[in-house]
Amino acid sequence: MTGIWSIIALLFFPGGLFVLTCGLAYEWVDRKLIARFQNRLGPRWFQPAADVLKLLAKEEVVPAGVNPVLFKWLPVIALAGALTAALYVPMAGLPPAFSFPGDLIVALYLLSLLTLCTGLAGANTLDRFSIVGAVRTLTQLFSYEAPFMLALLSPAIVAGSWQTSEIIRSAGGQWILLTQPISFVIALIGLMGKLELPPFDAPEAETEIVAGALTEYSGRGYALFRLGRGVELVVGLTLVAALYMGGLAGPLDFALKTLGLLVVLALFQTLFARLRIDQTVGLWWRYGALLALAQMLVIVGAKVIA
Amino acid sequence: MTEQVPNKFIVPIGPQHPALKEPGHFEFSVDGEIVTDASIRLGYVHRGVERGTEDRTWVQNLYLIERICGICSHIHATAYTLGVEKLAGLSAPPRAQAIRELFCELERIHSHLLWIGVAAHEAGFDALFMYSWRDRETVMDLLEELSGNRVHYSCNVLGGVKFDISDAQRDAILRGLDFLEQRTHHYLQVVTQDAAFVRRTRGVGVMTKEQAVEYGAVGPVARASGVERDVRVDAPYLAYEQFPVQMITDTAGDLEARFAVRVRELFESYRVIRAILDKLPAGELMAKMPRKIPPGEAIVRVEAPRGELFYFIKSNGGDKPERVKVRTPSICNFGSVARLTIGHQLADAPMILAGIDPCFSCNDRAVRIKRQDHIQSWTWSDLRRYALKKYSA
Amino acid sequence: MKIGAMLGDLLRSLFRRPVTERYPFVKRAPPERLRGALRYDPANCSGCMLCMKDCPANALELITIDRKAKKFVMRYHADRCTFCAQCVASCRFKCLNMSNEQYELAALTKAPFTVHYGNESDIQALLDAVAPTNSAPTAKA
Repeated sequence: MTGIWSIIALLFFPGGLFVLTCGLAYEWVDRKLIARFQNRLGPRWFQPAADVLKLLAKEEVVPAGVNPVLFKWLPVIALAGALTAALYVPMAGLPPAFSFPGDLIVALYLLSLLTLCTGLAGANTLDRFSIVGAVRTLTQLFSYEAPFMLALLSPAIVAGSWQTSEIIRSAGGQWILLTQPISFVIALIGLMGKLELPPFDAPEAETEIVAGALTEYSGRGYALFRLGRGVELVVGLTLVAALYMGGLAGPLDFALKTLGLLVVLALFQTLFARLRIDQTVGLWWRYGALLALAQMLVIVGAKVIA
Repeated sequence: MTEQVPNKFIVPIGPQHPALKEPGHFEFSVDGEIVTDASIRLGYVHRGVERGTEDRTWVQNLYLIERICGICSHIHATAYTLGVEKLAGLSAPPRAQAIRELFCELERIHSHLLWIGVAAHEAGFDALFMYSWRDRETVMDLLEELSGNRVHYSCNVLGGVKFDISDAQRDAILRGLDFLEQRTHHYLQVVTQDAAFVRRTRGVGVMTKEQAVEYGAVGPVARASGVERDVRVDAPYLAYEQFPVQMITDTAGDLEARFAVRVRELFESYRVIRAILDKLPAGELMAKMPRKIPPGEAIVRVEAPRGELFYFIKSNGGDKPERVKVRTPSICNFGSVARLTIGHQLADAPMILAGIDPCFSCNDRAVRIKRQDHIQSWTWSDLRRYALKKYSA
Repeated sequence: MKIGAMLGDLLRSLFRRPVTERYPFVKRAPPERLRGALRYDPANCSGCMLCMKDCPANALELITIDRKAKKFVMRYHADRCTFCAQCVASCRFKCLNMSNEQYELAALTKAPFTVHYGNESDIQALLDAVAPTNSAPTAKA
């Protein structure tokens, strides 16, 4: 991959435009599914795109007392991180655009960038809702990140490689979720925590702290954060589907598996009441981390014996 | 200095805030996530309804009074009509009384289902919110079918009610109630058994019986703390003597108990409505009402969905009232919020607030304003002078 | 204690038609008693003015053209009306009723909210007397 192909990969496919479109489409599917679970009609297909376009066209208000450079560039970095992560995962069921031993770790860190940027964006403003939201965002980051990492790394340990494509190849089309159900569930729920989806939406609980860390954002910055969220949803789903559901054989396979996961995600989102931030932390450390560790120990033990 | 003075970090909620769709101002001082202090400021929706009644005739006031609250509109109008009828020394025919009670109970159903949705939304449980509001449409449609309007039923006139209940409508109500009863059983299970939801409500905002009495709590909030206080039982009005309700109480006093009490009250409402429809007294719908009301004073107490509603009406013999004083149930319950949130998580504060089912449009009065240590009391003449000064320019 | 007590509801809804409607495109039949715009029939009107006196919103003006011949014109301000139906209850001769079809009363200008009811000629005479060039829309009773 050199020259012109790299640029195409970055800007159009599988990075850039394709992932953005995918993000909006998945956001719509998510909203529509939630609506149908709640016996509502739900939005029309272009609603997420319309939202983002409207936000992009709006004036961006930079509140007093913030660092304007940070305020403007944090959303860009957040989106860039999510878009870059898309290059290291098998988007659309095709081999990753860029791949090297250890790309799984890079992808995971790039995915955390969005949360980190959200937290910083909240801490950057003087608004009290933003600060409470930022504290909660970062608290949540520290609670789900370790179990989520452990959960995604356990297939890697089985395969003996940190490279996504290598892990998929070593699984040989087998569904790892059957042999490692615990880490699959933790990875899926960890993804919900990462995306601050209900019931893990305490950091942006609208009935308490308006929009959490992003309260002061309007217009372009908010649009970019939302796009980043959409992209991260797609990337996260792709990663979980690729690692746990026997790889992604092609675009159709990709769509089926990720959308299937999205249905489960949407169901979880509607099924539970929001967890308080202390309950979130308790849940992840008391159960999530311990279960993931236990699973990992079993895997390591099995590997040593074998 | 050996003592450290912690900086106060205050989270303001309202008058504009997504948690509160109505204007009220709450300040929660927090230490991390724990609320250490709370203060309430009301009076953003002072519409001058009480003063407005003095400029309108007895009949016109019926519709002004009805608009004090958009949820419990019927009970306000009913309290007012009962007062005026008392002053005029007559009472509505039994059939009219029964129909009024029917509307009261239908309104209670719609109000309680609405509240379940709002409180569930505060807890981030949007599925329960959407479903309870979907089912609330059943009772809204029934009210529209009966009265012609979904919110302001305007079924009262002085001396009776405007419309009768036809056989087809009776069957429609019974069908609707069957559906709602089955759904309500389900909601009772959800609010008392759903693990994620109960973790947000059990043991949150506990108010003991003594506290409830001390704070002067009314309605379902007081009943959830074990205080036996229900005007429908204590001092029956309308046709509540003929079609009595049972008082629903709980002893826990927490948010879960408030959910349980309100949901169980729904069953009582269904039962009473069925009883009324079964034995609806025959007869006239309206009594002849004089246009001028003899001088005198009347006090009316009724049980609104949120608790005891109090009306004081004074007539000087003319075609307009001299004074109408309204005390709404929400104002009695607000005091408890400030006390109960202290020591809880910030996340629980909106839920405790929603737990009293606050109605802000009911609180259109400012009597005592506290700014730091300075307390200013406003009398009627103070307010009048202030208003004249403010609006003369 | 149950985890996910609403699971049944959610799954059933997935295979059911949503209850929400695309309102302006899909409309339900309004109930028979729906209180929409007011209508006035001058045939039996005695001109007692009770409707006007009882209206809490001053939305009605009953204009006497000729008291002896019982000729009245009703000027109805739909924008002030609160749709309480007190006038309908007050009228002893059943001259007033509320439409259950005309309930979508939004408009871009104020003009359509002033509606005249009565005999065509009476209304025209009234309008000519007030403002010769005025051409407020009229509605037949």
